[in-house]
Amino acid sequence: MKRKIARGLLAAGAAGLLAAGLSMYAAAEESGKVVLDVINYHVGTDYAAEYYSYLFDEFQKTEEGKNVEFNFEEIPTTDAFNQKIKLLISSGDLPDIVFNGGNNITELAAKSGKVADLTPYFDADPEWKAQFDETSLEFNTVEGKIYGVPVSKEISYIYYNKELFEQAGIEAPEVAFASWDEFFEVCDKLKEAGITPVGMDSADSGWLTNLWMSALIGTSGDAGNEWMNSMYPTDFETPEVIAAAETIQKMFQQYTTPDAVGAKYDPMATHFFNGEVAMFPNGPWMIPDFSETEKAPEGFADKVGVMLMPCSGMEMVPTPGDMVGATEEDKIEAAVTFLKFETSLENQIIALEMTGLQPVSNGLEIPAELTENDPLMAEVLEIQDKAELTYGQNQAYWYQNTIDTFSTELPELAYGNITPEEFCAKLSESAAKNE
Amino acid sequence: MRKTSKFSVYLAHICKYVFMIFFVCIAVGPLLWAFLSSFKTYSEINSSALSWPSSFNLENYKAAFKYAPIAKYFLNSVIIVGCSVLVTVALVAMCAYIISRFDFKLKVVIVLLISASLMLPAQAISQPLFAIFQKLGIFDTKIGLIIVYSAMGIPMSFFVMTSYYKTIPMALEESAYIDGASFLQTFLRIILPLAKPGLVTIALLQFINTWNEFYFALMLTSGNSARTVPIALNYYMGTFANNYSALFAAVVLTVLPTIILFIILQRQVMESLTAGAVKG
Amino acid sequence: MRTKNRGIWIALFTIPCMILFAIVYAAPIVTVVYTSLCDYSLTSGPVFRGIKNFVTIFNDEDFLYSIRNTLVWVVLQSTFHVLLGLLMALVLRRKPRGWSVVRTAYMIPNIIPTAATGVMFTLLLNPSFGIVQPFLDFLGVDYGMVPNLFGNSRYAFWTVTCTWIFYSGFNTIIFLAEMGAIDKEIYEAATVDGAKPWQLDRYITLPLMKNIFGTCVTLASVAMVSQFDIIYMTTKGGPGHSTLNLPIYLYKAATLENNFGKANAVGVVQIVIGLILVLLIQRLFSEKKETGRVRQ
Repeated sequence: MKRKIARGLLAAGAAGLLAAGLSMYAAAEESGKVVLDVINYHVGTDYAAEYYSYLFDEFQKTEEGKNVEFNFEEIPTTDAFNQKIKLLISSGDLPDIVFNGGNNITELAAKSGKVADLTPYFDADPEWKAQFDETSLEFNTVEGKIYGVPVSKEISYIYYNKELFEQAGIEAPEVAFASWDEFFEVCDKLKEAGITPVGMDSADSGWLTNLWMSALIGTSGDAGNEWMNSMYPTDFETPEVIAAAETIQKMFQQYTTPDAVGAKYDPMATHFFNGEVAMFPNGPWMIPDFSETEKAPEGFADKVGVMLMPCSGMEMVPTPGDMVGATEEDKIEAAVTFLKFETSLENQIIALEMTGLQPVSNGLEIPAELTENDPLMAEVLEIQDKAELTYGQNQAYWYQNTIDTFSTELPELAYGNITPEEFCAKLSESAAKNE
Repeated sequence: MRKTSKFSVYLAHICKYVFMIFFVCIAVGPLLWAFLSSFKTYSEINSSALSWPSSFNLENYKAAFKYAPIAKYFLNSVIIVGCSVLVTVALVAMCAYIISRFDFKLKVVIVLLISASLMLPAQAISQPLFAIFQKLGIFDTKIGLIIVYSAMGIPMSFFVMTSYYKTIPMALEESAYIDGASFLQTFLRIILPLAKPGLVTIALLQFINTWNEFYFALMLTSGNSARTVPIALNYYMGTFANNYSALFAAVVLTVLPTIILFIILQRQVMESLTAGAVKG
Repeated sequence: MRTKNRGIWIALFTIPCMILFAIVYAAPIVTVVYTSLCDYSLTSGPVFRGIKNFVTIFNDEDFLYSIRNTLVWVVLQSTFHVLLGLLMALVLRRKPRGWSVVRTAYMIPNIIPTAATGVMFTLLLNPSFGIVQPFLDFLGVDYGMVPNLFGNSRYAFWTVTCTWIFYSGFNTIIFLAEMGAIDKEIYEAATVDGAKPWQLDRYITLPLMKNIFGTCVTLASVAMVSQFDIIYMTTKGGPGHSTLNLPIYLYKAATLENNFGKANAVGVVQIVIGLILVLLIQRLFSEKKETGRVRQ
């Protein structure tokens, strides 16, 4: 009898506890908003700062987002951001929403087990999943599981200065130069007319030079194109890469400004704005700069034309996608909801408008007013469909330390202190350190 | 003794002033250049180093405030660096005194540990520190940064201070003890006043060393409550969107008050210098 | 030294310092030394592997270059840089006209944030629009092409060196404080005896600077063993390996290769080199009879 009572009491107690637990949970639900930690590097002078601040505000106005509260940590510059994320991967907890600053972070985060596998969420919402093409998802997949939600696509091509072309008596091609030989003939012509043909750099990651080199490799035939589309290459001593390095050496020595070696991006961009170089490789995010009088002279935007890389090549890579670091179910839910909002077709268009970020979804209907207001952007949207060859670039595909080796060895290549073969050998050596 | 010719006296004078002027130029030049650049546009700054800014409007200063919480961070810097200076000076004043005056078993260990830590790479420290600070609940607090900066300042101040104490003749303390003064009395009333120039010097050094610290300020904070000026400067360096003009505006804004602080501190050094002259 | 309760005072005066020290440095020193012997990366925990990492780095040509560059910088900094500070202090000691302005001005470069200094130097020394060309024109030097000071490995090392070697205000302040502690009467007596100004410095000031000179040399060398910021902001160790030093090499191993074991092995080498330097320098400058110490 006593035992029964005891048991009954226990049961009641347990039920009470359960009820209390449930009601506590309910209370949290009621009072509570889900609070998501976010580390945001789109702050300060970042090109997408305005867009992201808009996006967060807008999300909280939606039905799904009204119960979500954000707790922001701001880290200006991707460099500092990546350092912090790596520290958190090694000895802390990742924020609930993990923006992706590149640097092979997706793979590192996935391997650390500190980000959520998003495959079930994609599978549960086929409509959402269908927004992304195979390559974009593949790029964010580690060992068969999707960890990142790609928010845009990165493309780049050549901007050229129509006025300078005219001065040198060159007719710009409709889409692209048919071959690199033709491209260099034009460079020679520009040089004869006293115009520096191309913009290049080498500091930080050697972004501009990287775009030229990727194009040279990516358009050099099947082997080269495949190489330039593969992740984490380790063998740089292939004929295509060596040939490209040789051409890069020639370009540094003959076709660019004397300050290109060792230079950072900004002074080089300014050379282009000031009409000091004729061709400049970059992506759509540069378009707003052309009409900003702080940066470029009045009316400069009208002088800019776009073309693809020779042989109708275009760099195109999916972006490394944003991840979810939350561990509790309701937070993961909320974080995924935000990522869905971020990648909604509507917001992809707004991102395009505000930042030049290319939509990740294919065949989006671009509103007519956008193309009217921004003819250059319209041209970009049109010309990218004419690309016959697409390929990646080193920041997306190479090992982090190999990009660094690329940047620090470029000046040596440019000054002829090392041969193209030695340059490529150094890249191989550097990539091998990751084995 | 031969009388020094007038000519060589003049020559020495001229050399001295040329030397001084040259170094003032290379020291102040960059700051003046930054000041001029803070009025330039993006285009001007990236295409000509020597040109005059086209106009002297305050746009870039407005931008400096718009992009980064610079005033807040400046205040944080002052508090954090100020406290760490006080803590370091107080602790080192005591510890270095003992090391310079006494021989004891653990002395070599202490000196070696302090020397070794001078070279510890920041990357290596940040991980364990991050974990410890989270456990202690001082992650993302001013106190956390004050602790790190004070500790970081110890080795350097320690070396300067031990060597300074050695210049104070021991006879002073000996006679104080004979007169019946206690250890603490001797330290507070006799040694500290004499050591003041040394203490002010390490305060200055500690100030300089921590004012520009970036790495820990970034790794050990997560919000605006404990972040410092060097982090604010990163706000002007976005991808494909550097704003060097705003960067220089911010530099001018934060460096000027620092220089004033500096002048005040240095005046302090001079006063204390005239107070005690004991070496010999 | 004799005093009552000696042990207690020693403890009371050193322990606070040591506690603070322990909070920040105790765990890291142990982890750095231990993990330098491990396979340890961003995503996999430390697994003991003996001296594998040390074998790796000592077989890496770049690592050897980084040691060489580090040591060259140590030598330059502990000689030229410190002497420059001493010279400035000797000049300012006599309080020539405008001396206090000079003293403050000379410290200014030390308080400008490194991020800004880096940007400043790269813009100022840009071969197309920087000050190099006007300067060479001014000197009347005939040049084929304007030297690219940061971009060309022939000049990069010296260019980077110049971003810090002249700025010795730090040492000037230390020396000035020490000089101020010299009894004025000694100078007066010597002057009465007919000593010339340079003789005052040669026979009175300089000998008394020996101890603090040792300290400054120690600090300067140690600073060079861990020099990072400005190199990172300007050349990141390049072009090639021309400005690669130990901290940059370590940074690359840690953040770019995500190889913490290797990075910490570099850290251990860095600490050992630093300690050897500290001990060597202290031996070099230690006085046979230390002025301050009295046997107990």
